[in-house]
Amino acid sequence: MTENEQHHIYEKWLGQHKALIFKIVRAYAFSAMDQDDLFQEIIIQIWHSIPSFRHEASVTTWLYRISLNTAIKWTRKERKYYHADNLDNVQHILQEHSIQMDERLIWLYEEIYKLDAIDRSITLLLLDGFSYKDIAGILGITESNVGVKINRIKKYLITKSKKHYYHGI
Amino acid sequence: MEFEELQKIWDLQNSQPLYTINEKALYNRIAAKKKQALHITNTSELLLIIVYIGSASFILGMNLSGQHGNIFMFLMAAWIFIIALYLLMSRIRRIKGSKRFDRSIGGDLSHAISTATYQVRLSQLMRWNMLPIGILALLGVGEGGKPAWVIVLLLIFFAFAYYAGGLEHSIYKARKRDLEILQNKLKNEASSGDDSSE
Repeated sequence: MTENEQHHIYEKWLGQHKALIFKIVRAYAFSAMDQDDLFQEIIIQIWHSIPSFRHEASVTTWLYRISLNTAIKWTRKERKYYHADNLDNVQHILQEHSIQMDERLIWLYEEIYKLDAIDRSITLLLLDGFSYKDIAGILGITESNVGVKINRIKKYLITKSKKHYYHGI
Repeated sequence: MEFEELQKIWDLQNSQPLYTINEKALYNRIAAKKKQALHITNTSELLLIIVYIGSASFILGMNLSGQHGNIFMFLMAAWIFIIALYLLMSRIRRIKGSKRFDRSIGGDLSHAISTATYQVRLSQLMRWNMLPIGILALLGVGEGGKPAWVIVLLLIFFAFAYYAGGLEHSIYKARKRDLEILQNKLKNEASSGDDSSE
């Protein structure tokens, strides 16, 4: 594959699937600095992955696989900026839209963020409509394991949502 | 709330992406990377020149002060001097060349990539340079009638140095690749910005 071809694919993927990367960044990185850091890491890994893409899976599945693996590894590195000083002066690469995000969506992200790195991946894939088989393939675990985890995650989120709404939010 | 309802909430973001990409911040990140690349290049370049001139002078001095001159050691000292001279010339050329980049962000990024390319070439050259130096050192030691274990030790040392040089080279290559990705990202953003303004 020539560099031009790689560049062309990269542009196309990024143009069409930017939202997917944003979702993962938002679910795995808390502060704006971390979100920038993770975003850069993911786009770099996507670029590197292009020559090994064999069309055996859809582009979405491939990008999810690369992005989630990167996010999980990134989470383990513990090089977060929670306590960095003077963050107000830093200009961030990723900027949230000025339109207010739906309050329920903010709540949902907060709940997802409380899960461990693997459960977070499963939740994102589940919410985006992936099958158990796809999820198992992306994460490299058995379908039955995915099933058990999904049941637990669903139960957790439903219980949390009931509590949330019970308190009138 | 049932899970299907959570899914509907989740789907809300499909119509409106969560973020936009701030080009200015991306530019600043590039400027920081350029500064870092320049600093690393400057330091390693100077360090190499000093070490090479120092080593060549030392080998030459030792050889001249000894009773028997060793041809291989003279050759090695000469070779190291030549490499030091080449490094010095490359440095001068690099510094002169840096003036051709404009002060725009795109220019800054091209400058950073050019510095990284230079670094990649330099590390590759230094790696290959291990071979003539290693061979000359082994021949010199052999000629000096040193025991076999000294030769083996020297061989292990050069093999390790060659391997470490490979690792260093791959780090520089990865750094250059990251910069190129950033440049692609920048071009990508710029072209999508052009499209939207049409």
